[in-house]
Amino acid sequence: MSTAATKLQVEHSPQAKPQLRVLMVEDNPLDATLILRSLRQGGFDVNATTVQDEAAFLRALRTHNPEIVLADFNLPGWEGMGAVKVLRREGLDIPLILVSGALGDVSAVECIKRGATDYVLKDGLVRLPEAIRRALEEKHLRQERKRAEEDLASKAAELARSNADLEQFAYVASHDLQEPLRMVAAYTQLLSERYQGKLDADADKFIGYAREGALRMQVLIQDLLAFSRVGRKEQSCCSVDCNAVMRDVLQILEASIKESGATVNYESLPEVWADNTQMVQLFQNLIGNAIKFRGTEPPVISVQAGAQPETPAESKTETKTEAKDHEWLFSVSDNGIGIAPEDVGKIFAVFQRLHSRTEYPGNGIGLAICKKIVERYGGRIWVESQAGGGTTFKFTMPLQPRESKAEASQP
Amino acid sequence: MKAAHELLIVDDNPADIALAREALNACAYRGQINSVEDGAEALAFLGRRGNYANAVKPDLVILDLNLPKRDGHAVLAAMRASPDLRKIPVVIFSTSQLSRDIARSYELGANCYVSKPGNLTEFFSMMKSIEKFWFGSVKLPPRGE
Amino acid sequence: MNGDEVDILLVDDSKEDVDLTLHALRSENLANRVFVVRDGEEALDFLFCSGPHSDRSFERPPRLVLLDLKLPKVDGLQVLERIKKDDRTRSICVVLLTSSREERDMVRGYELGANSYLQKPVDFTEFRRMVKLAGLYWMVINRPPINSAPRSVEHAL
Repeated sequence: MSTAATKLQVEHSPQAKPQLRVLMVEDNPLDATLILRSLRQGGFDVNATTVQDEAAFLRALRTHNPEIVLADFNLPGWEGMGAVKVLRREGLDIPLILVSGALGDVSAVECIKRGATDYVLKDGLVRLPEAIRRALEEKHLRQERKRAEEDLASKAAELARSNADLEQFAYVASHDLQEPLRMVAAYTQLLSERYQGKLDADADKFIGYAREGALRMQVLIQDLLAFSRVGRKEQSCCSVDCNAVMRDVLQILEASIKESGATVNYESLPEVWADNTQMVQLFQNLIGNAIKFRGTEPPVISVQAGAQPETPAESKTETKTEAKDHEWLFSVSDNGIGIAPEDVGKIFAVFQRLHSRTEYPGNGIGLAICKKIVERYGGRIWVESQAGGGTTFKFTMPLQPRESKAEASQP
Repeated sequence: MKAAHELLIVDDNPADIALAREALNACAYRGQINSVEDGAEALAFLGRRGNYANAVKPDLVILDLNLPKRDGHAVLAAMRASPDLRKIPVVIFSTSQLSRDIARSYELGANCYVSKPGNLTEFFSMMKSIEKFWFGSVKLPPRGE
Repeated sequence: MNGDEVDILLVDDSKEDVDLTLHALRSENLANRVFVVRDGEEALDFLFCSGPHSDRSFERPPRLVLLDLKLPKVDGLQVLERIKKDDRTRSICVVLLTSSREERDMVRGYELGANSYLQKPVDFTEFRRMVKLAGLYWMVINRPPINSAPRSVEHAL
C-alpha cells in the first residue's frame, strides 16, 4: 500500500495554536478523517502523517518527528502493538495511543502493560484529545524529572570529586607537614631543656613560645590527618559490639575519668555493622568532650541506644527485633556546661571552637570527625542542649549493613 | 679491654642524626657513632670503599628507609646478599607506618622495625631502648674481618 | 587456649627456665598470650600449622618466638633454619634465648637469620631482667610484620 501523506490545511487562527505532529497508523481513510476531526474539535492544530506498515512507520518517524502516535490495533499485514515494539527498539519516548474498535482477545490493560500509553475506542473519539493531552503532560513530567536527576547526579559526582581532592590535599599536606614540624618541635624542646636559665630571660620566653607553637601545630596536623583519614581509610566493616567499644574507650580515657571523678554508664548497647576503629573514635570523642566540658560537679555521663525510640524512656524497653525500625538511635548525655542554642549549628564544623584555649583545650575537630564518621554510615548526628543544662548528643546508625559505596571511590 | 661498640646510623636528615646522637649521649652510650646520609654512602662505608677504606664494620646499623640514591630496602638487600655483612643486625628506624614498608623490611631480613616517634621524649626513650637492648642484652655477632 | 591468639611462642624444654620466663613476662603484663612448647618438633607444628596445631593459621603468627637451642626431637638451629627458609614464616621475629656459650652457635644463629641472640645469664635475677627487657623490646617497641598498631610507649624501658 502506498503511503499517503495527508497534510491537512493548517488552520489559521488569531491565537496561534501550537502544531501537534501526529503519526497515524491507520488503514481506513474514514477513520483517519474522524480521528483528525476529533483532534481539531479538541483544540489541536494538527500536522498528521498516516502510514500502514512498519517500513513506512519507520520512515515517517524519521522524517515527520511525531510527538504522538495514534495506532489502530488491527491492520492488515501489521498490528498497532507492532508500532510500540518499533518505538522501543529505536529508543524513542513517544506516547502511543491505541485508537481502535473492539480489541478482541487482548484487553486494553494488557496493551498498556505492553507499552501503549492509552487506549481509546473509535466510537468514543471525544475522549481522544484529553487522552493526548494527558499523555503529553506525562511525557513532559518524565523528561523534567530525568533532567533533574541527571543534573543532581552530575552535581553529586562533581561534589564527590571535589571532596576527594580536598581530602587528598588535607592528607598530603598534613603528612608532608609533619616532618619539618617534628624537627622544629624536637629542637625547640632540646633548646628549652638544655639552655633553660643559661641565656637571658627573654631567650627562655622566646623558646617557650616557639615550643608551644610547634606543639600546637603538631596536634592540629594530627587532628587534620585523623579527619581526612575518616574519608580515605579503607573501612573494614564487621559486626562491632558497642559494649566492647565502650570498654576500650573507658580504658583509653582512664586518666581523665579518674581525674574528673566521672561516672560513665552504659547498658546493653547493640551490635552495629561498622569499622571498629571508627566506632572507638566516635565514642571516644563524644565521651571525652562530655568529661572535658564539665560543670562544677563530677561528670555523670550516660550512653544509651534503642531502635528509634521517641524518648529516652522508651529506649530501655525496645528490643532489636522491632521490625519496623531501620536504624539505631544512640544518645550520649552529660550534666556539663551545655551548649547555647545559637551555638548548636557551629559545633560540628572543622576547627570550630566555642571557648578560648585557656578555658578548655582542644582544636575543635573532634565533633567534625564524629559527624564525618556517622554520615559515612548513612546516619545523622545532632545535639540537644541548653546552656548550663547538660548536653545530649544523638546519632543514628543503620540496622542493616550498608552497601559500601565509599570503597568504590577510594583514591 | 673490650672494644667499644660501633654504631652506624643511616639517615638522610642530619637533624635526626644529631637527635640520635643526643639521645645516645643522654643514655651514656660510650661507643663510636658513625653516620651517613644516603644509601650509596652506606654501602660504601660498609664495603670500606673510597673515602671509607679505614672504616670499621659496625656492630649495629640503624637504618632509615627514605634515603636518596639507594633507599633503605636496597641497602638492606645488599647487606643480606653479602657474606661479609649478612650477620650485622639492622634496626629499621623510620617515620613510615605503612604495613607494606614494615612487611618488606622483614622480608629483606631486617632484625626489627621501630617507628620514629613524633615527639622528643619518645624519640629519646626509643633510642635508649634500642641502645639498652642491642648493646646491653644482646650477644652481637663478632665483627670479624 | 585458642591457638590463634598467641603473642609469644616460648620454645624451651627446661621447666625452671620456662617458669622464670613466664614469671618475668607476667610482671610486664606480657604473659597473657604465651604458648609454651617443649621440643623442636612441636614448635614446627605450631608455626607451620600442622599436626596438633593444624587449626592455626599462617595469617596470625605469634609476634615473637623465644627459642632455646638445646631441644629434644628437633634442635633450635634446625627450627630456626626452617622458619627462616620458608616464605610463609620467614618474617616471624625469632629471638634465640639460650644457655649455650658456644660462639659458633651464635654465629650460625645470625647466619640463619635470627632476629637477635640472647645468652641466658646464670644469675636468676639477671635472667628475669633480660626476659623483661626482651619482652618489652619485642612486644612494645618493635613493629611486627603482620599489621598491628604500636602499643603505648608508656612501657618504655
